[in-house]
Amino acid sequence: MLNFLKQVGDYAKETAQAAKFIGQGLSVTFDHMKRRPVTVQYPYEKVIPSERYRGRIHFEFDKCIACEVCVRVCPINLPVVDWEFNRETKKKTLNHYSIDFGVCIFCGNCVEYCPTNCLSMTEEYELASYDRHNLNYDNVALGRLPYKVTEDPMVAPMREFAYLPKGAMDPHDLPKGTQRAGRLPKDILAEIEAEEAKKTPANAAAEEKSSS
Amino acid sequence: MTPGIDLQGTFVRALTDLGLPAGAAKTVWIPLPMVLMLIVATVSIFICVWLERKISAAAQQRIGPEYVGPLGALQAVADGVKLIFKADITPAKADPWLFIIGPAIVVIPVFLSFLIVPFGQNLVITDLGIGIFLWIALSSITPIGLLMAGYSSNNKYSLLGGLRAAAQSISYEIPLALAVLAVVMMSNGLSTIDIVNQQSQYGILGWNIWRQPVGFVIFWISALAECERLPFDLPEAEEELVAGYQTEYTGMKFGLFYVGSYVNLMLSALIVSVLYLGGWSFPVPVESITALLGISETAPVVQIVAASLGIVMTMLKAYLLVFLTILLRWTVPRVRIDQLLDLGWKFLLPIALVNLLVTAGLKLTLPGFFGG
Repeated sequence: MLNFLKQVGDYAKETAQAAKFIGQGLSVTFDHMKRRPVTVQYPYEKVIPSERYRGRIHFEFDKCIACEVCVRVCPINLPVVDWEFNRETKKKTLNHYSIDFGVCIFCGNCVEYCPTNCLSMTEEYELASYDRHNLNYDNVALGRLPYKVTEDPMVAPMREFAYLPKGAMDPHDLPKGTQRAGRLPKDILAEIEAEEAKKTPANAAAEEKSSS
Repeated sequence: MTPGIDLQGTFVRALTDLGLPAGAAKTVWIPLPMVLMLIVATVSIFICVWLERKISAAAQQRIGPEYVGPLGALQAVADGVKLIFKADITPAKADPWLFIIGPAIVVIPVFLSFLIVPFGQNLVITDLGIGIFLWIALSSITPIGLLMAGYSSNNKYSLLGGLRAAAQSISYEIPLALAVLAVVMMSNGLSTIDIVNQQSQYGILGWNIWRQPVGFVIFWISALAECERLPFDLPEAEEELVAGYQTEYTGMKFGLFYVGSYVNLMLSALIVSVLYLGGWSFPVPVESITALLGISETAPVVQIVAASLGIVMTMLKAYLLVFLTILLRWTVPRVRIDQLLDLGWKFLLPIALVNLLVTAGLKLTLPGFFGG
């Protein structure tokens, strides 16, 4: 009899606990309803990609020396480099260069290793197309620069969370000219340079003299 | 208790004064409340869908539909129009008759149940003697439609979904009926009007939720399961069964299931507000307000105000419950089928029986409080 009563008591306790947890969950969801939406209304608003954003790769034809380092460092040897050896100048001349963005994983190895910096990452990410073959960009397509979100009159650019001023949680309706929390890299750089110049004025003067 | 506004009586009298025979006048009256109720039920779909989408969005910190109509209120209309214009496909090896009848059988009883939903003393289509029992009887027709839809689709997911729907509805019907029985026992009548009148004497303190808290919870859980709302939406659990019995349906036949589920949700919320939250009664009895202000209860202005207040109160309570279901939807994870049946048979059923027994005992010992 006692055992049975204990069982009933335990069951009731469990039930009460379950009800309590459901209540806690409800209070959490209810609390979320007061918060502002975090969504970006995409075609009308767009997030400004960060400085290190790894978007579509940009390629400068004239800088390329057809060394094929990008092909070697690519996880799947994706870039196609079409070159000819010019016997007179004893240099390779580049005919065509292409990357298929349907296959590219945007790891940025090619950009990292390119000896002449002819490859770079852009902030373009809207590569959607009706035909996957359109994603195979040749050197002309790779040479195009993306349209900046901040300059598009149709789009309200939204700053990413890390780029909001201190305490701000919402990129909408920010007052103009607000800066993100902390100091900007260019300010830090300027300060370091000023300090360096102060520390070794003699050296700097000497350097300037020798260079001129 | 004043009888309140009597639209039917006034209407019939006005027509007989114009020279119509009394029978003809009544015949003219009959379709009016029915059409009105159909409109109310249909509009409630759009309101429910809008609430569902907006509240879901708010709970997930999104905005929700925004561009179709003011604040996206016409999104459900747009979806419905789209469904009407979609191709109506019957699978080649499906049973065409059952396939077509299925959704109709799901929807019709739900709309029919609005017969007994009262919005005021005389603001109801029919004050049936069996009132709430009619609703229970009609709501157990729905699983037959679901089973038909699932069985005739000739699809394993549909069949499983239909079977689950039937199992779920049947097992939750019992605690639901037992919870209703406890209320019925207290109010000495099955009529929804009697049930509300019995709770509306002392304002908010007299509502059945204070005398039947356990019954309220049982009824609410069972009603959620009957409506196949999350956390009990197993028959259409998309991760397991694609869309359950709806898998093979397209166009408006598919839409009918949604119509049925949203009207059923609204109906359940209305029934809960009638059974446990005092129906059309205001938290403070209207009689005491009029007594305080020194106005006659039978004054036409008071009657009109009281009637509209009743309608607003019923709707307000129902929509509060709808809000709660939507909030629950994003709070509670879906239960497994065995957990669902466990909850129904091993938890709700015994508790409902105990609740009924305790109510009966209290009715005998404290007849003043429990409607002796």
